[in-house]
Amino acid sequence: MDPATWELIGRNLWPMLKATVTMTIPLTAISFVIGLALALLLALARISSITPLTWLARVYISVIRGTPLLVQLFIVFYALPQLGLVIDPFPSAVIAFSLNVGGYAAEIIRAAILSIPKGQWEAAQTIGMGYATTLRRVILPQAARTAVPPLSNTLISLVKDTSLASTILVTELLRVAQLAAAPTFDFFALYGVAAVYYWIVCLILSSVQVRVEARLERYVAR
Amino acid sequence: MRRTILALAAALLALTTLVGCSSAGSDTLRVGTEGTYSPFSFQGPDGQLTGYDVEVARAVGAKLGKEVEFVQTPWDSIFAALESQRIDLVANQVTINDERKARYDLSTPYTVSEGVIVTRADDTAIRSLADLRGRTTAQSATSNWAEVARGAGANVEAVEGFVQAVQLLKDGRIDATVNDTLAVGEYEKSTGDRGVKVAATTGDTSEQAFAARKDSGLMPDVDRALAELGADGTLAQLSEKYFGSDVSGE
Repeated sequence: MDPATWELIGRNLWPMLKATVTMTIPLTAISFVIGLALALLLALARISSITPLTWLARVYISVIRGTPLLVQLFIVFYALPQLGLVIDPFPSAVIAFSLNVGGYAAEIIRAAILSIPKGQWEAAQTIGMGYATTLRRVILPQAARTAVPPLSNTLISLVKDTSLASTILVTELLRVAQLAAAPTFDFFALYGVAAVYYWIVCLILSSVQVRVEARLERYVAR
Repeated sequence: MRRTILALAAALLALTTLVGCSSAGSDTLRVGTEGTYSPFSFQGPDGQLTGYDVEVARAVGAKLGKEVEFVQTPWDSIFAALESQRIDLVANQVTINDERKARYDLSTPYTVSEGVIVTRADDTAIRSLADLRGRTTAQSATSNWAEVARGAGANVEAVEGFVQAVQLLKDGRIDATVNDTLAVGEYEKSTGDRGVKVAATTGDTSEQAFAARKDSGLMPDVDRALAELGADGTLAQLSEKYFGSDVSGE
């Protein structure tokens, strides 16, 4: 690596960090929160006794899991304008990623809920709890324990998947690296730096995961 | 355990065979081109790669007595592919400029054209290159059109290529895109799109050439081939075929 390349990397460390903090991380966080809310609704629909609801959730999950994320992004960004709906790059990305996370996390949450023994539901009913209360106070707190590791997987994948938003004009980390590399074609150097940034974000998230898991273990009878 | 070792060995063997067969002989000329830049390089109705640049490259290959093998690459990674020896020649309307002269071997030009500014049909605000100041255009990040737009004071959104830029323009996400008059003319002719128009020219002619790695030793032969193709009328004929006029600069 020649001095000019090092200089280029040095000049772009800060802009790339800024893109990480102002674009990549918010994009991940917002999409994950919306996606989780959607996933919970989908999971409940999947295990409900109302047949049309079950099928609706099934079809949705199948479509999301069965099509490339890049195509989903393009549909929101390039296809909707043909129906007269032009959404800015960042919100477009949030919509696509939220819908995507919703599909994947729905299956995780469904599995976690089903892992709680039926007896728990029955016990809650005998002391007069309704469906919503049972879910909120008995089932979900226990299911959360099971769901944390796979959901962390989804979140960590999402951090890196946001790099796809560079294709729809969102100036996130990878796009800043691309633009910086374009004049001199030093793609390798700047992509390397971007990779390190992504890795650092994921390391932080992994350590958060460890803490959350420990916290949810508190009330588990041994 | 033994089965695992066997499986691993098989996997390793498969890998080595995969790695071992990816070098092209010197009687092959590997040409990098986008394949999405009509009429220079695009997929014809029969699914085969065709276009002005593609046919000129084929003719040059024939003159050199080499087998031409096309490698489709997005513009922004075309020079990276050239430098990493995945291709030997770029045939994709490479505009000659000082920066590229310093970095690559460039052939004699085989196209002469000018740049135009494309806007939405109902846009009357942009009537010259100067009007791009403060506006947003979309270009391939590493193309000379990006430099032209930036030089005029525009803010440039990086996109894959011309097709994407026109889409963004029509969706109202950008104000203009700068490109080759020949590419724009072809787009208007083939799509009949009334949503965009040529608002102005950039006011300078540019010359396009083939590019190879610095000191590749390929260029004297390529230049000789181009000279012959110019003299025997092949270039003019190909140019007529794709543009309806002679733009080969011969």
